Amino acid sequence: MPVRTWRKPLDAEKIKVPKGEVHIIKNRCKGCGFCIEFCPKEVLEESEELNERGVHPPKVKDESRCALCSFCTAVCPDFAIFTVEKNCEGGC
Amino acid sequence: MTDTKETGNESTTSGDIRIGVYVCHCGLNIAGSVDCKDVADFAATIPHVVLSKDYRYACSDQGQELIKNDIRENKLNRVVVASCSPRLHEPTFRRACEEAGLNKYLFEMANIREHCSWVHLYDKEAATEKAKDLVKMAVAKAALLEPQTESEVPVTRKALVIGGGVAGIQAALDLGDTGYQVYLVEKEPSIGGRMAQIDKTFPTMDCSICILAPKMSDAGRHPNIELSTNSEVVDVKGYIGNFKVKVLKKPRYVTKDCTACGDCAKVCPVTVPNEFDVGLATRHAIYTPFAQAVPATYVVDRNLCLNKENIIFCDKCIKACERKTIDFDMKPETLELDVGTIIVATGADVYDPAALVDYGYTRFPNVITSLEFERLINAGGPSSGHLIRPSDMQVPESVAFIQCVGSRSERGMLYCSNVCCMNTIKDSLLIKEHWPETKIYVFYVDIRAYGKGFEDLYKRARKEGVLFVRGLPAEVVEERKTRNLWLIGENTLQKEVYKTNVGMVILSVGIEPRRDSDVIQRLLTLSRTPDGFFMEAHPKLRPVDAPTRGVFLAGCAESPKDIKDSVTQASAAAARASILMAQGKVTAEAITSKLIEENCTGCGLCAKVCPYNAISIDKERKKAEFIEAACAGCGTCSAECPFNAIEMRHFTDEQILGQIDAAAEQDANKKIVAFCCNWCAYAGADFAGVSRMQYPPNVRIIRTMCSGRMAPKFVEHAFAKGAAAVLVAGCHLGDCHYINANYQTQKRMERLWKKMEKLGLNKARLQLAWINASEGERLASKVKEMQSIVESVTSEEIEKSKKMVEKAG
Repeated sequence: MPVRTWRKPLDAEKIKVPKGEVHIIKNRCKGCGFCIEFCPKEVLEESEELNERGVHPPKVKDESRCALCSFCTAVCPDFAIFTVEKNCEGGC
Repeated sequence: MTDTKETGNESTTSGDIRIGVYVCHCGLNIAGSVDCKDVADFAATIPHVVLSKDYRYACSDQGQELIKNDIRENKLNRVVVASCSPRLHEPTFRRACEEAGLNKYLFEMANIREHCSWVHLYDKEAATEKAKDLVKMAVAKAALLEPQTESEVPVTRKALVIGGGVAGIQAALDLGDTGYQVYLVEKEPSIGGRMAQIDKTFPTMDCSICILAPKMSDAGRHPNIELSTNSEVVDVKGYIGNFKVKVLKKPRYVTKDCTACGDCAKVCPVTVPNEFDVGLATRHAIYTPFAQAVPATYVVDRNLCLNKENIIFCDKCIKACERKTIDFDMKPETLELDVGTIIVATGADVYDPAALVDYGYTRFPNVITSLEFERLINAGGPSSGHLIRPSDMQVPESVAFIQCVGSRSERGMLYCSNVCCMNTIKDSLLIKEHWPETKIYVFYVDIRAYGKGFEDLYKRARKEGVLFVRGLPAEVVEERKTRNLWLIGENTLQKEVYKTNVGMVILSVGIEPRRDSDVIQRLLTLSRTPDGFFMEAHPKLRPVDAPTRGVFLAGCAESPKDIKDSVTQASAAAARASILMAQGKVTAEAITSKLIEENCTGCGLCAKVCPYNAISIDKERKKAEFIEAACAGCGTCSAECPFNAIEMRHFTDEQILGQIDAAAEQDANKKIVAFCCNWCAYAGADFAGVSRMQYPPNVRIIRTMCSGRMAPKFVEHAFAKGAAAVLVAGCHLGDCHYINANYQTQKRMERLWKKMEKLGLNKARLQLAWINASEGERLASKVKEMQSIVESVTSEEIEKSKKMVEKAG
């Protein structure tokens, strides 16, 4: 059923999707890039800055896209990234 | 009225071939402009003819008895009847021959009515001469006819239905109820199709899903129906009665134990616009398209699911599912099915009005399509049945429907989409039912309320105050503040310009062929009309048969139609398929190709041009192999073969060359030898006859099943025999009865033109024309047009071409 879906769905506001908050422990990162590569929502990108280990750690490109799947945590070999659920009670 | 002419041939012929010729008067239809007795007398002088008679009505019972008696008494072993078109009475005379013990393939017809008397009404002399030629040609072919036996193939008593919309469901249920095993294959995760999206149906205003859902669940649990959703047909091999089909069944990643509770979807972090609601509501990556879906099992859209390939890290749905039905290890399956018949019910797409920028669809939020309207007005839809403006979620005080959006226009599709008028009338009544104060305008070109109960509904809408304005708006303009819309156009009935302000515009969008129809077309070797819908075998008499035997069409795949017509056609298709399966066997007409093994080099040219994949090449033996049951008899292979290794039964090279010889025996330099395909050009010539379109009498038409049968040597032979001009005529490109065989005709003619140029011959002497069965006028004018060519050809040129063609050939 190929359909042109261009409108904002009428229930878009009502649908609650968990929002994630990404925390990066920059100095643990060795710059393998797995989190950037594998994030299904393309939340991360490489930063310009250098950390203590002399590599570019990731930075958050668009946190609103994070769906809290925690894949970044799972693939990080250095325990340098984790996500927590955003408290959206006061609106996100 | 019978006048028998005993001929001297009896003793002089070899005794093997004994032809009886019957020249029919057809009352005055033939006798009015052809001297039938003279023709019969002439026929008696042709070699092999042992008996020649003229008779008032050869097709009458007495006429047939006469022929039967003669076959028995005079030991006739070939019969030629010169009368009407073989497309009309060939079956009649063939049956008569069979009843007298003569193989029906030993019968030949000369068409002296449609192709002679009716088109040369005022020139009896020329018409009589032409009739003599036509009889001579028929006798020449008859002398070379061979008896044939029709082969019989078994029919597997199982059917495949492609597409699970209302047409597919109906066809599957009918076949299943008859007792045949049915495989119902649907591409989407649920059956139901377009009808499931619609709120109410016209003209009865029934709730669409309420009448469809029971049928869907019947199909889902029918013991004879095996339902495969999320599945696509990927390969079809074989032929009538014996198709081998491969179906790719994509995994749902949810097992059948799913209770459709929806707990998984609630936790799924991915949301996208829902296709079923035309993007007006959201769905998750794990979802069910709609509440009544069959099967009810949820499905994971792996294109959207965060879990790519084999890495499963988002397990929210897995955790939420109490019954543990989510299984990401499911793999795609390929089902291999053996079926005897196939019903194509692949449905249609909806026109995308964004192309018509003047109407502002996708620019103005309050311009919606009729399909979006159906979802909005549906109680189960995204707005719970409230017709709301997407801009402010308010019910509009006035709405306008614009008709023929994408239909009947150069800017969209040229055809009428059939359902939009009634759909709009139904929609306007639905609005009046819920919000009687709403002002409703319908801007239209013509209102087509042609069906049972349609006019009543139209009248009702008018009575309820729906305003019908003739003249489509030229432009829709949005008022920035209110998001209301201005429609500007001309009322052609009142001859004045209108400027109407409404809260919402509903575009009554047309139906278009499925954008992926080419896949099924290729797999099943179907044809499509210029509109893009699948073509039927005959528009009047075989409207649900596809040109490929054993394949039937139902629903919008064949043409735009409403639910009732789709269901009717589906039941018809099921009945047609049942006939084949009930008989359990089918005979194939013996007009098929035959390999002459010793000549075959296994070059594979024939396999390349065969539109039916009926030829394969045994590489070890270096020989072609024919699947006779898959052969439809176009003869393209035979024309393509450079080694004379393929004989077309009943249309052999010798027979066609014999006809050319007979046609060119006298005054060839003034004649046009024409080759017409049975289905289009020959039928077009018949149509010219029926319509009494007069054209010059110097054309001699030779019938072949397809223009693809036209080997270059036939054209060359005609020139070598001194013909002034040659006409090759077939179906329009894309309309070929044999899928695409006429593209080969075109290639061959182009090669011939080049060759003629090289030899220094006037290439205008060879004409190619595409003439369909209704274009008698085109044939007549082509023959007229060719007169100047015939007249301009000098005798030196003819002598030159005779020599050159003979030398080159």
